[in-house]
Amino acid sequence: MTTGGWIFMLSSLVLVWGTTIWAYRRLLTAPHEDRSDKP
Amino acid sequence: MEWGTRVGVILAVSGSAVGLGNFLRFPGQAAAHGGGAFMIPYFCALLLLALPIGWAEWAMARHGGERGFHSGPAILGMVGRGRIARYFGVIAVLVPMVVYMYYVYIEAWCLRYAWEYLIGGIQLTGPVDQQVQKAAEFFGHATGTNTDGVLNMSAVFWLIVVTINIILVFRGLRGGIEKFCQFALPAMAILAVIVLIRVLTLGTPHPDHPDQNVLNGLGFLWNPDFSKLSDFETWLAAAGQVFFSLSVGFGVILNYASYLKKKDDIALSGFTASATNELFEVGFGGLITITAAFVFLGASGVGGGFGLGFQTLPVVFAQMGGIGRWVGFAWFFLLFLAAITSSISMLQPVKTFFEEALGISSGKAIAWVSIVCGLGSFWVMWFSKNMVALNTMDFWVGTFCIFLLATVQIICFGWVWGVEKGAAELDQGALMKIPRPFFFIMKYVAPAYLLVVLVGFILSNGRAEAIALKGNPVALWTVGVIVLVIVLLIAMVAVGERRWRAAGLDLDGKQ
Repeated sequence: MTTGGWIFMLSSLVLVWGTTIWAYRRLLTAPHEDRSDKP
Repeated sequence: MEWGTRVGVILAVSGSAVGLGNFLRFPGQAAAHGGGAFMIPYFCALLLLALPIGWAEWAMARHGGERGFHSGPAILGMVGRGRIARYFGVIAVLVPMVVYMYYVYIEAWCLRYAWEYLIGGIQLTGPVDQQVQKAAEFFGHATGTNTDGVLNMSAVFWLIVVTINIILVFRGLRGGIEKFCQFALPAMAILAVIVLIRVLTLGTPHPDHPDQNVLNGLGFLWNPDFSKLSDFETWLAAAGQVFFSLSVGFGVILNYASYLKKKDDIALSGFTASATNELFEVGFGGLITITAAFVFLGASGVGGGFGLGFQTLPVVFAQMGGIGRWVGFAWFFLLFLAAITSSISMLQPVKTFFEEALGISSGKAIAWVSIVCGLGSFWVMWFSKNMVALNTMDFWVGTFCIFLLATVQIICFGWVWGVEKGAAELDQGALMKIPRPFFFIMKYVAPAYLLVVLVGFILSNGRAEAIALKGNPVALWTVGVIVLVIVLLIAMVAVGERRWRAAGLDLDGKQ
């Protein structure tokens, strides 16, 4: 594995894991959803 | 009909997106188009095409759903303000319907392989050459790719998966699709981690081939070849992979997101579903398959697609010794779960369209959809030699029509409905603020990028595929089947149009 390979693999993995963790964290810490039909 | 929870709908959309392409197609495409360098056009396509078009789909869908529309033609007709967009919207039903016809057959292979591994039915013994030959023979026998018109044991598995699909969709969004995806997605993640750990700890299994080790296997996929970036095919392949993978231009998000309420978030939901898909594709697909194949079989044993998944990897599992049987089961059951969460998402929009256009009950709609899709799927299974019927449907509908639908959608969103209205819809109930440059991308960059990709795709593949049809009656008849489905769907839109107008619905988006 070349240095370029390591750079592309690790940056891609950090990007996909990072965005997924950020997204779910934000989603799960958001105010509790109210799914009733009240306006 | 509605979703139960916020996470439930995200897992359902993610389940739709995560499919066989994440584990089998992506690594093959990346390795063939520059390795690590492929990620540059890949992430460009993700940011400039898939993510913005995905958001546009979520926005149009929820807007349509609030006005009583849940099917692709009705939603696009309303957002696109008229009949032309509505009839182009037929593609939003055609794609999931026809792709389901062949996808469910591949799903049956996955279940059969998983079952065979569970009961110890796949025994690849002898030297590697013999194992490769036996794996190819088993694949030909299990999938019927050697001859037309033969139904084998896989037909039984086909019946099982078709029945499971029908039951899950019949049980509805909350009780069927959402509940199943809440189990399937975490299960897929656990199975993927198990297989990944095994692959990354393989070391150098053949001491006489020290170069065949895990690091070199990873390098085979990830070492960048920047010369490939000057090749238009690389950019085309990246755009294609992102599209197929994210279920954008598939008609699924248009249906799923139409059941959300006005105060529900769609911005973060769309982003999270895309991120989940990328995690499975890059984080798991990019590390498992090619690395495993390289370690045991070397560079010459690495391919892509079905060959990699169903012929090469069984040899790899055989090389692992006793544990290989269980890794094989975990792998194929993972593929089966990935496939079924996608196939139910294809059946659902078609069922909704039948209900909405014909004004029939959910039960009757699923019955009619089962008959029509079952016949189409049987066609694929019967004409299985060299996968001609499957490949023809995959090219004309599963590839070309996806680009076409995405183009129609982003033009409707950016130029007919207007990005300002779209932005307001996306901001409603949003748990994240979409950066404003994305709306510029939605209006100008994505349509232009997509048109270039569409024209490039037609020029590089369309002509050759059209010529290939001439000398191949099965392929030609398969195109006939597709045309028949299009005619059926157009007729149904005409019926639906009359019903919606009579019911006083705002089907042209005039209000």
